[in-house]
Amino acid sequence: MSVEVEGLCKRFRYLAVGKEATLKETIVKRLSRRDSQRRTVEALRDVSFSLGRGQMLGVVGRNGSGKTTLLRLLAGIYCADRGRISITGSITPLLSIGSGFHPELSGRENARIELLVLGMSPKEIDRQMEKIIEFSEIGDFVDAPTRTYSSGMKVRLAFAAAISVDPDVLLLDEVLSVGDEAFKSKCLTAFDGFRDRGKTIVLVSHSAPTIAQRCDSALWLDNGRVAGFGPAPEVVAAYRANAAQRVADMAPA
Amino acid sequence: MSLIERLNHSELSALHSPWLRLTPQTMPVRHGLFSRLYRARWLIYELVSRDLRLRYRGSVLGFAWTLLNPLLFMGVYMLVFGTFLHLGFHNFALYLLSGNLAFLWFSGSLNQGTNAILAGRMYVGKTVFPPEVLIFVPVLSGAVNFVLSLPILLIADMLFGQHLGWGIAYLPVLMIGESIICVGLLFFFATINVFYRDFGQLENYLVLMLFYLTPIFYQVQAIPEPYRKIILMSPIAVMIISYRDILFFDSTPKLSAIAYIFICGLLTFAAGHTFFNRYRESFGEYL
Repeated sequence: MSVEVEGLCKRFRYLAVGKEATLKETIVKRLSRRDSQRRTVEALRDVSFSLGRGQMLGVVGRNGSGKTTLLRLLAGIYCADRGRISITGSITPLLSIGSGFHPELSGRENARIELLVLGMSPKEIDRQMEKIIEFSEIGDFVDAPTRTYSSGMKVRLAFAAAISVDPDVLLLDEVLSVGDEAFKSKCLTAFDGFRDRGKTIVLVSHSAPTIAQRCDSALWLDNGRVAGFGPAPEVVAAYRANAAQRVADMAPA
Repeated sequence: MSLIERLNHSELSALHSPWLRLTPQTMPVRHGLFSRLYRARWLIYELVSRDLRLRYRGSVLGFAWTLLNPLLFMGVYMLVFGTFLHLGFHNFALYLLSGNLAFLWFSGSLNQGTNAILAGRMYVGKTVFPPEVLIFVPVLSGAVNFVLSLPILLIADMLFGQHLGWGIAYLPVLMIGESIICVGLLFFFATINVFYRDFGQLENYLVLMLFYLTPIFYQVQAIPEPYRKIILMSPIAVMIISYRDILFFDSTPKLSAIAYIFICGLLTFAAGHTFFNRYRESFGEYL
């Protein structure tokens, strides 16, 4: 097994909007013994699934159902409250796309830092850079500051950089939704290449048809719980039926 | 090798060991600080050079700011403290500059570094990234700036007939001491700033107060007792005095002074690093 998750739970404590923690407020609260307006939200409740080598998992669910939280836990950015994650091999997460780019630096400089962050050596980066630029199709823009890029260009560059690392497990959050059709099919071809080499992909996407067609299995998260896990077409069909039902319920009688 | 190489099987199980409680984490930090830094050496190099490039990109004067900034400050201090307040003495400008350059490095690192983890949230929240890297970057880029601004001082020393001797060989030692103090303090400041976003403002005041409480534009001899003893307990004051021994007085710093700087620095560093490690795993959630 490449990715194994067992009984994963994650709870966030957060403050109401406009009540972000400041030193001043904390001190004032301590002194006045006012009740702090902390709330908790169960982002993931008892999530379990497993994924073999060379498999591609699609994660579906409504906004706020815990998809991104799950990816961040897998990436090791968050710590689980409970449960166990075991991953064999190296991981490259591609989350919150393009936000890692500094607007004043050029695409080339940003890609370089990105790759260093992902652990690539400078030599390897020099070797890969041209390939990355070519794959991302951003052409001469590569030396322009990234503030001049469209969101699609940023994603293409970030994605090209991430796959050049060639990890054993690739975690992707909504990559496909920003690129155009041509780039999307290019990404899907790249995914196939990954799988053929026994690599594992976890893909969060709102594009249900893509998941149904391309993924081996799908995980449907609803309010932090696993609402369905199994062969992609079946799970996606169940998810879409549920969504359609919800829309019908909301419609005035 | 790679930073994410650490995410191999055994380590990830350690990372997500079952039934771990949240905040503050007491998770084992797998590699030592120096091994982490060594692994991230190219990243540090790139981030420092990015820092320096960004500082001067898009500005007409570019690199000249490195030299202009301390000169402008010095001009104002000379006018205020020398001409208005009559605190001046022989070669007052050089006296000021020789202490102030090192303090500008200190205050610059602290002001920038306190915000470093917040400002680097795109890296910290994105992958398993050693956040201590972000703390070293402002200190190192400040060090480069400091070294680059030294020629002004050395040229001015020559022009005004201030002779400099071999004491300057102590300069790297003092710089290491200063770096240790800066990083040590930043381990605290940057961590606190993640959880309390207004800490940065408090930090600005603290540094400003420290500027006035450090013999930069006045001489140690001018401080009456018992205040002098208290002021001299500050390792920053001792450090500025040592810099000046080298860069102004053509002598060598006292060994006891250097020892004091390093003892204070290393204690701060060790305590700061422990503090930082205690909270590091929660960064991802607060960014």
